Amino acid sequence: MKIKKLLFVTKFEELGLDALQSLLVLRKAALEHVVFVNVIERERVAMRRGTGYNKEAEIRLRETANIRFIDWAENLFEQGMEVGVYIVVGSLVGEVIKAARKEEADLIVIGRSQKGVLEQLYAGSDITELLHRTASPVLVYKYLSESSFALETPFERPVLATDWSPASLKAVDYLKELKEVIKEIHVVHVAAQKTLSGSAMAIQKTRKKMRRQMDEICNTFEAEGIAARSHVYVGNPEQEIEKAARDCQATLIVMGSSGKASWVERWLGSTPRNIAEKSAYPTLLIPPEKI
Amino acid sequence: MGKKVLVVDDDPDVRLFNVTVLEEHGYTPLVATNGEEGRNLAKQEKPDLVILDVLMPRESGIRLYRELKTDKTLKHIPIIMLSGIAEKSFLRSQKVLAEFGDATVPEPEAYLEKPVEAEDLAATIKKIIG
Repeated sequence: MKIKKLLFVTKFEELGLDALQSLLVLRKAALEHVVFVNVIERERVAMRRGTGYNKEAEIRLRETANIRFIDWAENLFEQGMEVGVYIVVGSLVGEVIKAARKEEADLIVIGRSQKGVLEQLYAGSDITELLHRTASPVLVYKYLSESSFALETPFERPVLATDWSPASLKAVDYLKELKEVIKEIHVVHVAAQKTLSGSAMAIQKTRKKMRRQMDEICNTFEAEGIAARSHVYVGNPEQEIEKAARDCQATLIVMGSSGKASWVERWLGSTPRNIAEKSAYPTLLIPPEKI
Repeated sequence: MGKKVLVVDDDPDVRLFNVTVLEEHGYTPLVATNGEEGRNLAKQEKPDLVILDVLMPRESGIRLYRELKTDKTLKHIPIIMLSGIAEKSFLRSQKVLAEFGDATVPEPEAYLEKPVEAEDLAATIKKIIG
């Protein structure tokens, strides 16, 4: 699946033109069309007792977004890109999904959720919700990370965290299509402590089996001309994947997203969701095939 | 029946404005809300003029403009670009696309930046199709 069209979802605070420019490296792969999406959340213009629907606020917010998008669009048009725009009032996730479907987007790029802990627990995070409802891969982009370094080449050195799930195997196919922009992939599997029980021989056997499975993935990449290395980590998946990303000087973490129901994720959490929301690295989540 | 003018714009306010101006000046407006609809209507109705927006969902006016200007049966139809995108960005995009190997297309008959005054729009249309 090539990334020909991406949906760039922004509230302007977290993702700006500089972030978008860094993604234009995907033109070397297949990118030709960028669609900007700005969702004006209903609460900002909703009916209020005594005042009703705040049409004036809607117009102001729409035009503010429009001014930004026109400027960005001019920039992209001048580079020969196709550009589209959605400025809509509604719920963020619902409107993003609607736009992604209408545009048949190959990738949704979104900033990190800004909701608080309690709000996330009860209302759910936008990212979790989005992943459950869309068939498109989602890049949770953190252009300027906590350490304030700007990524010039976000796809150069991805860490692919695999648990052999259908979604993480789908991620392999997705990354193969990005061979023009990837220099080296680090394939990482985090083994749980409990899988390494028994005799030293039994543990070595498990390690060997994991290694073999990972080498198969690496061979797939190398057949496409992408350098690939495999690594086994042991322990808590969230911490170890983050550690692996640091060790490999990764520019991106790639994972298959969980197939768990959204309410389960909301209460019990999931590794992809937690990494997407907490990691310092941009995180590309590939959803399982929707039936 | 007046001359047919096809308006392609995703913004309902702009469509209404254009249609009002056209009707007031004796033209017959045809309306499309996106590039795909615009292309179909242009092929079906062969309008005397197209008023085309640039920034639209699904497909930008830039692509439709190039298609219209390279279609043997439609390339003679004059086009007024009506957009918030600056003319110089539009022209630059055409140049870049031509450099990428796409066809070189002529400049539009007129380029108006939004928002446009009703008299200016009417005068531009009159100048092009009478």
